[in-house]
Amino acid sequence: MGGKVSCTLGEVKNRADLIIYWGGNPAECHPRHFTKYTIMQKGKYVPNGRKDRTMVLVDIRETPSAKAADIFLQVRPTKDFEVITLLRAMIKDQPVDEAAVAETGLSLEQLRDLVARMKACKFGVFFFGMGLSMTRGKHMNSAALLTLAAEMNAFTKFVAMPMRGHGNVTGGDVILRYTTGYPFGISLSRGYPRFNPGEFSTIDLLIRGDCDAALILGADPGATMPQPAIEHLKRIPTIVLDPKVTHTSRLARVHITTAATGISAGGTVYRMDEIPLPLRPPLKGPYPTDEEVIRRIREAVAKKADWMPGMNGVVAAA
Amino acid sequence: MHASQSMTKTILTLKKAPHVPLEAEVISPDVFSTLTHDAVCGLTVFLGKRQLRLDEFFDVEGPGSENIEIHGDAARVKWIGKTMTRGSIKVHGNAGMHLGAYMKGGSIEVTGNASDWVGGEMKGGFIRVAGDAGGLLGAAYRGSVTGMSGGTILIGGIAGTELGMRMKRGTIVIGGAVRDFAGLQMKGGTIVLMSGAELRTGAWMARGTIISLKPIKLMPTFGQACTYVPTFLQMYARHLNTLGFSLPCDLKNGFYQRFTGDSSVPGKGEILVWQPASSSRGS
Repeated sequence: MGGKVSCTLGEVKNRADLIIYWGGNPAECHPRHFTKYTIMQKGKYVPNGRKDRTMVLVDIRETPSAKAADIFLQVRPTKDFEVITLLRAMIKDQPVDEAAVAETGLSLEQLRDLVARMKACKFGVFFFGMGLSMTRGKHMNSAALLTLAAEMNAFTKFVAMPMRGHGNVTGGDVILRYTTGYPFGISLSRGYPRFNPGEFSTIDLLIRGDCDAALILGADPGATMPQPAIEHLKRIPTIVLDPKVTHTSRLARVHITTAATGISAGGTVYRMDEIPLPLRPPLKGPYPTDEEVIRRIREAVAKKADWMPGMNGVVAAA
Repeated sequence: MHASQSMTKTILTLKKAPHVPLEAEVISPDVFSTLTHDAVCGLTVFLGKRQLRLDEFFDVEGPGSENIEIHGDAARVKWIGKTMTRGSIKVHGNAGMHLGAYMKGGSIEVTGNASDWVGGEMKGGFIRVAGDAGGLLGAAYRGSVTGMSGGTILIGGIAGTELGMRMKRGTIVIGGAVRDFAGLQMKGGTIVLMSGAELRTGAWMARGTIISLKPIKLMPTFGQACTYVPTFLQMYARHLNTLGFSLPCDLKNGFYQRFTGDSSVPGKGEILVWQPASSSRGS
């Protein structure tokens, strides 16, 4: 089964009457999200705004977002995959064991109520955060929720969307997808794109020490990645393009200061629902844009002989 | 199962471990069998994007043959034995990712450890790793519907996550403990876990059999069916005995608890968990 069941935030605003946040804390991490796109807005098919919508929050602890929710479901840590799999069974009317359900931290009654609401709604949406995608199970937790959303379409319209983190990560995914066919974890070393997260994804490459150079663009892995990955970035020639000096810049061989996108550089940014938005820079700055630096590096590399001895081209995509 | 014992042998000795992964899918009996010594030396391997000769990394001994021996730490050498259909490869040391991927026949033996994707989407043949293996053993490649569809993988040590993901047929036996998601989305075949597993074993399985000799934590979407010693296990036990793994199947020593699931699919897979007689009911 493949494909992503998604929509734009405009559709959420105009149609969604059941909004489920899973493992995310939008009240603190995406402060304008509620008011601009989801629960607070009045929409074409939800004319009374907040009154027409039901919001459910699923998380391992009661975050400030719980205040905004109609229903708060507190699951035990690392039980998200189990709960979503139980929901997949329950929407198909499969029998489930009450004692087994209780181990997830939720009662059978709570899950039955959620399933009833999911089936009764006109347009349901899952928003999932790093509490789901970055805890034990990782990509399979996200896969579980995406599969549940796909399967819910046997009953009603249902979509799932990740709450993306800092920076323009959605844009990175979108561009790689339309240029290579894959969103991340791509190797071009054989001249054609190959996709294998775990083998070609940045953290795994760095932890195994499988790359001998790194170009970091618009990211700060020195602050976020696990220590063995950072150690490898210190060992190899690392080049950082960033408007400011980051943790990664301090361990890099080369730091090139570039213009801040949206402030002194224009371009296109992708919103979390993959809608491209143009950026108009209000200021002029002394620094070149990321694009200009990359273009000039590329031109300089193209002038060189095919490749130089001792420079092998496994490049970690930032 | 084992290839005909021809006397010729090709011995590859790693000169120096490559500093980035070396993709060497040419190291396969099907490629080597008809080649002269010089032709084997001139085969193309990929270091990053650079195309280099095999003899830049390996000392090659003997003419090309169906029996290949590799010496040295080949932990960064990927795709050994890819799509092989016959012959044998023996790795004295470690092997890199994708060992025996897509293989259809022949045998691979590793004395050290192997990495991820051992026997990825293999269709037949035999792989034995004395040490540990990584994750995604016998699994389907990303975006593919079916994992291994035949053959045997034996691992002496531990293994990683998602082993046997989407496998359809074939046998996997793991001596050590395995991590999460063993038999994920399994569609058939058999996985034997001699030392149990961590979480989520058999998640989303549709069919197939997972046998664990140690108690394991099950998904809430599995239900207990019965306790017994399945008749078919005696045949399995006899076969696995010849491969060095002993499977208990005598009612005097205990019995198997049978769990079925995963009801989220809904699936008809089974998980058999061995219960020694002493720890449960007195006999």
